[in-house]
Amino acid sequence: MSMIASLALTLPELILSTGALLLLLVAAWGGDGSSRLISWASVALLAIAGLSLGCANGVAFDGLYKADAFSNFAKALVYAAAAVSILIAPRFFEARGAMRAEYPILILLSSVGMGMMVSATDLLTLYVGLELQSLAAYVLASFMRRDSRSAEAGLKYFVLGALASGILLYGISLLYGFTGTTQFGGVATALGDGISHGELFGLVFVMAGLAFKISAVPFHMWTPDVYEGAPTPVTAFFASAPKVAAMALLVRIAVDAMGPATSSWQQIVIFAALASTILGGVAAIGQVNIKRLLAYSSINNVGFALFGLAAGTPDGVAATMSYMAVYIVMTLGSFLCVLQMRNAAGDAVEDIASLSGLSRTRPGLAAAFAIFMFSLAGIPPLFGFWPKFLVFDALVAIGLWPLAMIGIATSVIGAFYYLKIVKTMYFDEPAPAYAPSASRMENGLIALSAVAVSPLGYLAIPLLGALSMAAARALF
Amino acid sequence: MREKPLVDLSQYLPILLFLGVALAISGAFVVLPMIVNRLTGTAKPNPDKLAEYECGFPAFEDSRAQFDVRFYLVAILFIVFDLEAAFLYPWAVSLGGIGLTGWASMMLFLVELGIGFAYAWKKGALDWE
Repeated sequence: MSMIASLALTLPELILSTGALLLLLVAAWGGDGSSRLISWASVALLAIAGLSLGCANGVAFDGLYKADAFSNFAKALVYAAAAVSILIAPRFFEARGAMRAEYPILILLSSVGMGMMVSATDLLTLYVGLELQSLAAYVLASFMRRDSRSAEAGLKYFVLGALASGILLYGISLLYGFTGTTQFGGVATALGDGISHGELFGLVFVMAGLAFKISAVPFHMWTPDVYEGAPTPVTAFFASAPKVAAMALLVRIAVDAMGPATSSWQQIVIFAALASTILGGVAAIGQVNIKRLLAYSSINNVGFALFGLAAGTPDGVAATMSYMAVYIVMTLGSFLCVLQMRNAAGDAVEDIASLSGLSRTRPGLAAAFAIFMFSLAGIPPLFGFWPKFLVFDALVAIGLWPLAMIGIATSVIGAFYYLKIVKTMYFDEPAPAYAPSASRMENGLIALSAVAVSPLGYLAIPLLGALSMAAARALF
Repeated sequence: MREKPLVDLSQYLPILLFLGVALAISGAFVVLPMIVNRLTGTAKPNPDKLAEYECGFPAFEDSRAQFDVRFYLVAILFIVFDLEAAFLYPWAVSLGGIGLTGWASMMLFLVELGIGFAYAWKKGALDWE
């Protein structure tokens, strides 16, 4: 395949990386005053890159990179989440005098990395993409560098992320050493005639490294600290786009490269899924900080998405991808609501107690927040129920119904703390009112995501089902 | 019949010889001056002579000393361009074999680094004060 044809397949990444480099120069010469312009230009770039996804299909660079229905599905989600994270940032940072022109550029670079991750069909492309995404994320976590919590979040994320990268790289080296190739297809061929001890160790290390990136238990411990310390728009970004990208990467490597060893990784995925749903549900109960609570909620949700992968069937993978699609809408909506939590002086408040009686002071916000909470809990009339149903359906289809039953039980535990927030908002004595919302765009985004996860979301099932099934079929 | 050894160790003989020679010579470098020193009568130790030599720094001090953060900035910029040079060398040697694609890839890499450098320069990363 010629170089030009390969480059044409990577068009979304080319658009984003070229655009990010040009905007970097604008940022250097224009200063922080140009940050609004750069934000809008970045959102436009993400939109163009998203539009360019449509027709890309094929293998580029001699099997290092693959554009297919699966990568396009994941990339569309990633770009959308990245664009929302850029849009909600300026007002948050400007209130603290910390808006810098580099913020949208870092998100763009991170998006390029995530695009590489979901398109990787080679262990080294995977690693380069993952590092590109992570390095930008470390900087974003400590974006408010004068704020000690933000700096702490960045440092913690960096140290633990570097450890996870090391574990992943060690697994990659073992896989390469024992299979003689870094290409997913080659690894699958080598695993086809029985799995050796060396290959098994490689598989376990790769799984552990990736479990860290999706913050699945037992590699979740960084999540609450980083989510709490990072500035709220950055937390919204962490909880959405990189989660989708890492989950898609895990799915692709599990199915594409380790397909013949399904019985080996299935145990790991089942354990991670069970542990994540249980710990995410139980540990969230005692939280008083809303961002920490949402961090545990994201651990919990990643566990449910992993149930789909644990099934190891096209239906299961399609369920996982549907889950991630609905999950980012719910989680971005929740963080948008958290962004509205500002006291009369305009400072951000994060404790759950301050939500008391929100239904009387800000009924619209309370209703939206309640929709997101009910939806995250998976309570039927809301759209959050549907992907949960899909993953359990996939489990039951292959006879893993005990696992499905445990999963449903943990979702009931999880429902407790989601409902507690709703109770705080609707039945407690009002706390001092929040400052009125000043941004029509944020209100619009909240309303849009609330409508998307409301029962109206069921209208999207045929489309979502077809797209996620096409994505899953591309892997099998 | 004797079993075939797992690894043919005889191919590592040159390394063993090399290690032996290295050990002998480095031992001689340490011991010889001491002997010569004693025999010629120049051994007059004083506290300064007996102190450890550690590249001009005091050998023992609190390891939590603070560095100016600007050193790190310079060090990181150095690493970036050091690596660039490390990539350029094998590229230049094999340029005949990798053709126009290889040339264009390296030029793109250099342009990207150049943009990063321009950014760092404009942001004042290179000014000491």
